[in-house]
Amino acid sequence: MKSSLYLAIFLLLTISIPVLSLAPAKAQTPVTFTVGWGAAPMDTLNPTAVTLYDGGAYVVMHAIYDTLVRSDVNGDPIPDLAQSWSYSNSTTVVLNLVHNATWHDGQPFTSDDVVYTVNTYLAHTELPIMRLYVQNVKSITATDQYTVQINLINPDATFIAELLPAMYIIPKHIWQNVSNFTSYANSNPVGTGPFKFVSWGGVNTYVQLAANPDYFLGKPHIDQLVLRYFTSYNAMALAIQSGEIDYAGPLFPPAIVPTLTSANGVEVVTRPDQRYYYFCFNGYAQGAGNPTLRDVRVRIALSHAINNTELALVAWGGYATLQNTVIPLTFAKWVNPNIKSYDYNLTEAAQILDNAGYKVGSDGIRASPNGTKLSFKIEVPSDYSEEYRAAQVIANAWKQIGVDATPQITDTGTLGNEVVAWKHDTFIWVWSLGEVVGPDYFLSMFKSTEAQPAPNGGLSDSGFMNSTYDQLFQQQQVATDPTQRQAIMWQMQQILHDNAVYVPLYDPLAVQALRTDRFTGLPGGALPPLNQYASNNLFLSITPISSSPQVQSTQSSIQENMTTTAAPAGLGTDTLVGLAAVIIIVIVAAAALKMRKKSTPKVQ
Amino acid sequence: MNAEYFARKLVGLGVTVFLVLTFNFYLFRVLPGNPFALLFRGAGLSANAVQSLNSQFGLDKPLWVQYTLYLKNTIAGNFGLSFETRAPVVDLIVPALINTAILLSVASVISIVAGILIGMLAAWHRGSGFDVGASAATLVLYSMPTFWLGLVLMVIGVLYFSLPVAGMKSFTGVSPGTLGEFVDLMRHMILPLLTLVLGLIGQYVLVMKGALLDVFTEDFMITARAKGISNRKLLWDHGFRNAVLPMVALVALNLGQSIGGAVQTETVFSWPGMGLLIYRAILARDYPVLQGAFLIVTVTVIVANFIADILYPMLDPRVSEQ
Repeated sequence: MKSSLYLAIFLLLTISIPVLSLAPAKAQTPVTFTVGWGAAPMDTLNPTAVTLYDGGAYVVMHAIYDTLVRSDVNGDPIPDLAQSWSYSNSTTVVLNLVHNATWHDGQPFTSDDVVYTVNTYLAHTELPIMRLYVQNVKSITATDQYTVQINLINPDATFIAELLPAMYIIPKHIWQNVSNFTSYANSNPVGTGPFKFVSWGGVNTYVQLAANPDYFLGKPHIDQLVLRYFTSYNAMALAIQSGEIDYAGPLFPPAIVPTLTSANGVEVVTRPDQRYYYFCFNGYAQGAGNPTLRDVRVRIALSHAINNTELALVAWGGYATLQNTVIPLTFAKWVNPNIKSYDYNLTEAAQILDNAGYKVGSDGIRASPNGTKLSFKIEVPSDYSEEYRAAQVIANAWKQIGVDATPQITDTGTLGNEVVAWKHDTFIWVWSLGEVVGPDYFLSMFKSTEAQPAPNGGLSDSGFMNSTYDQLFQQQQVATDPTQRQAIMWQMQQILHDNAVYVPLYDPLAVQALRTDRFTGLPGGALPPLNQYASNNLFLSITPISSSPQVQSTQSSIQENMTTTAAPAGLGTDTLVGLAAVIIIVIVAAAALKMRKKSTPKVQ
Repeated sequence: MNAEYFARKLVGLGVTVFLVLTFNFYLFRVLPGNPFALLFRGAGLSANAVQSLNSQFGLDKPLWVQYTLYLKNTIAGNFGLSFETRAPVVDLIVPALINTAILLSVASVISIVAGILIGMLAAWHRGSGFDVGASAATLVLYSMPTFWLGLVLMVIGVLYFSLPVAGMKSFTGVSPGTLGEFVDLMRHMILPLLTLVLGLIGQYVLVMKGALLDVFTEDFMITARAKGISNRKLLWDHGFRNAVLPMVALVALNLGQSIGGAVQTETVFSWPGMGLLIYRAILARDYPVLQGAFLIVTVTVIVANFIADILYPMLDPRVSEQ
């Protein structure tokens, strides 16, 4: 009876795999800063073709390529490839470039590269995002080797602060031979940035970068930067606990925070993010949703029946700051502090509806004078299903004032189509900082031009159209005096509030984590350190703590980290392996002993 | 096995593949939610950019034109461009396929061999402690959701055995040279491997045990025993040979199912294989990638079943005589 023997041999062979794998690795390596990325992974190495602005691609591109101007830790512009700039008149920008920047292949950076870049983006309107940055550019010229002049079509005071920090400068001597920009693989990217490209594991894996010793702003304090994609934040929390990564982000769900805070050597960083969640009413005049939402009184009444504070608790466990206006709080001075959300007051809501003629019907649901019921869908896109609980809370509150609401989760793509066709009633969604690095992005979706009739699509999902608002938008774009611009933007927010276009809900905190026992130099400021436009502030300031060895044998750090888990302290790995092996051998031996009896075969 | 049987099976293969191609195309055209509308909504692309992307991917042409283009391109090996990365889909699928093949092949071999051995032991010692224990354990493991099992193993592996959490390679602490890299790969592979093996082994144990017990009831087994054949020959030359037939069918059928298990496992461990590719493509509504991936998976399963069909008559000549 030998199959038990075969089994034993087979098991022993398979045990050799884990035993081999437990051999601790010992090599000393260059100082590596490993960043875990939990949002969309890198999709391409081609900076002109990047689309997923929440993807790792932006972080990596900013490490490899420079822009003319960079965002600092507060989101304000600071010099990058342009060391100084000025407006010679309202439509002409002059940028003085640095003299000592070089491309990663050694070629010097000059104004020719900037001119080439801008002209390329102007000529190639099929490039999804880069085209946006040059929409308002008429022409660009190099006045000398290190100076460029950009001529705008219309005056735009926001050009430098909001568009330039995202416009990658590409080397002319490499790209001038490229014919098809959107499909060019750019498998060995060459930029001027603080990190050089080493390798890419392909989509959904990692990017490996090495520090650029000739970076014109000074060599980074780390030798190697690795960005690794994780599919789940649970895995990332484990990874930072065990020391497999040094920084984790960009957006941990609040539920994981206690695990992170209890781990030794890990510091949790929470900052407001550049986005906000909102409740949208379909008020489009030619819309196909419930027409009662076009009545501003209905919207105001319903706004009184939405309680931000409670919703922030329900959806985010309190890890969010409340929004009163449509500009995320990270944009500090542009946010109008005098606006407060309509207070949660069901009596007042009912009163407003009664006064406006929406009486409660026999079925308990209010109806307009011509019979249209206040019966709405509250949709939640499937990608943000945590907001479903918020939708349920809202529906329950509305029921108390005689408004019928059905929360439902809709596939994000389908909901997008519904919005284009103006078929929605209400939904909860999010606006995040898009490709434009500025606060007026969050005001742009309320322009009349964005409310397009079906089947065209625009940014607008509220259908708000107001000529005063449109004029103000133009004015703030050309206002060169920041105080004046601020006043205009505050006024615009007031208009939106008075018309109850949205109910701004909350700005969830960006929760990130750093191994402070290995690295120091976390940048302060208002932005989360791992932010798609400002991540270089993190990568340039992060410094290894010289006393901590970066050897990957993590046993000591794991035993320190075992706090809430029920692990008996002091049981080393070797002991456990030995124990497991002994147990298996005992089982097999027992089985083998049993076999030795000449048992009668079990045939009937 | 005669030529007619082989030809019949081959034609069946061709027809099935064609039907799959057609269904694959139809399925992804019929799904709601234009992916560019999604890109548009999230990234604020202009109507122009969306339109140019639409025409780039031929989405503005009539359906039957798209279908003929699709058939022509697929046969030529051109699966189109990914919506998300605009890279050729083939370039995305091939490395992912290799990574999944590494994981899945090792897991399959281990679970098949271990499953057969454990099943045989359980059948031989039916009713014993080993039988009850093994059957119960494997049944429990089989019913567990793969991703949950993966998460539990991940926590145990990372916290107690200092194994890496995710991915296929480390960037620090790897001993140089191929041995170092191999050990690194092993360290990354052990947890997803264990997850897959534990999930797959249950079926093989139970089917093997059941098939063998069935064979034990056959008359020829009593005859063989009466002739004085030793236990070992009885078990292997008579029992195993007959019981393994349903196993062959099961292995082929399981290939499709193990891809599903691979999706969950790869997602938990961020193992960059077909499973992760499919998962990401679903989130991004990247239809060309999904189309290509589903096609590969389906064709693989069909081919595997075809091979099983061919293998069957070689193992059991009674099958082809119908």
